[in-house]
Amino acid sequence: MKTFEEKFTAWIDDQLTGAERAQFEAALPDRVAADAEKEQAHKLGAFLKEQLKSRAMANEEFFHHQLRGRIAREKPDESEAQSLPDLRTTWWSIRRLLWAGATSLALFVVCTFFVVREKQTQQQSQYLSQILNARVDPAVSPDATVSIFQTKEDRVTVLWVDGLKSLPSDYAAK
Amino acid sequence: MHTEATPAEADVSELDLVKQSQAGNTEAFDQLVSRYRTRVFGMIYNMVHNEQDAWDLAQDSFVKAWKSIGRFRGQSSFYTWIYRIIMNVTIDWLRKKQVKGTGAEFDDAIQLKEINPASRTVPKADALPHERMEQREIRQRIDAAIAQLTPEHRAVILMKEIEDMQYHEIAEALDCSIGTVMSRLFYARKKLQNLLRGVYENI
Repeated sequence: MKTFEEKFTAWIDDQLTGAERAQFEAALPDRVAADAEKEQAHKLGAFLKEQLKSRAMANEEFFHHQLRGRIAREKPDESEAQSLPDLRTTWWSIRRLLWAGATSLALFVVCTFFVVREKQTQQQSQYLSQILNARVDPAVSPDATVSIFQTKEDRVTVLWVDGLKSLPSDYAAK
Repeated sequence: MHTEATPAEADVSELDLVKQSQAGNTEAFDQLVSRYRTRVFGMIYNMVHNEQDAWDLAQDSFVKAWKSIGRFRGQSSFYTWIYRIIMNVTIDWLRKKQVKGTGAEFDDAIQLKEINPASRTVPKADALPHERMEQREIRQRIDAAIAQLTPEHRAVILMKEIEDMQYHEIAEALDCSIGTVMSRLFYARKKLQNLLRGVYENI
């Protein structure tokens, strides 16, 4: 028990052990008010019990008749069968899910392996290496801009150089 | 807990009836219904305050119990198990209906007979007209007060005060913790005390 409400309810219903009760009562800020509330709760309980005691149905036989009819409309083994196929279906579903998951994981691993391997084995073209290594001397061509456009699928790379005053010596036309 | 079994029916244990019902024996289930129908109906009626609705919900609860009795493992008593079904059905219905406690849910036309187990076969003298009127007014005041509680608070206070169920049984029926039951009971009592003190102090 943690909250005051829980302890108070247990105290009202005499559900506290001797030690718990003594401890709770000692901690009560206003024992007189608490006792009065306990008495009120007991009065309320007795009042509700007296006023709301069990009631008979207006027509018990018809209730039974109607209920029997509804139960009879349920298929003979439905009560028992309903739970078993459910369980079986659930079990098959779980097994299928596991198999599907394992298969998917295996496919993913295989595909990843080939993709990574292909990437590693794919050699960078010599031309691209040359472009990437190309340097523009900022002292000679301060306004030069170099742009690279590349389409790997088509193996096409375009080097766009603008504002170049002079070519590096190793790119000079030979 | 009080049941409605006759001495002959009481000879058959509840567990036997449950086992037979699980095997598809509708007669056995019929006996279980006989044992609990009044309490089930009374409990639901006190929750919904309408005879027809209580009837329908009691029917639904028993049909649901029949359909799922194969799953009853006997880990709790049968009545705790069936109360769980009742509470699920009734609270769900109340939520759907979105009862606001306006009093519109009351069925003033109902005339239900009260059962006194000690005098079932002895005709009871009718109350005087003014007594009946007073009784009806009291009942209306109680119903109006209970209608102001949430479905969960209604369930807790009725199971505790009317059914004399233990905290753990209520917790099991409502699928919540014992602490939650105690907390709900605290607030339900407070509210009902405020609403009904004038009634029960003056009787």
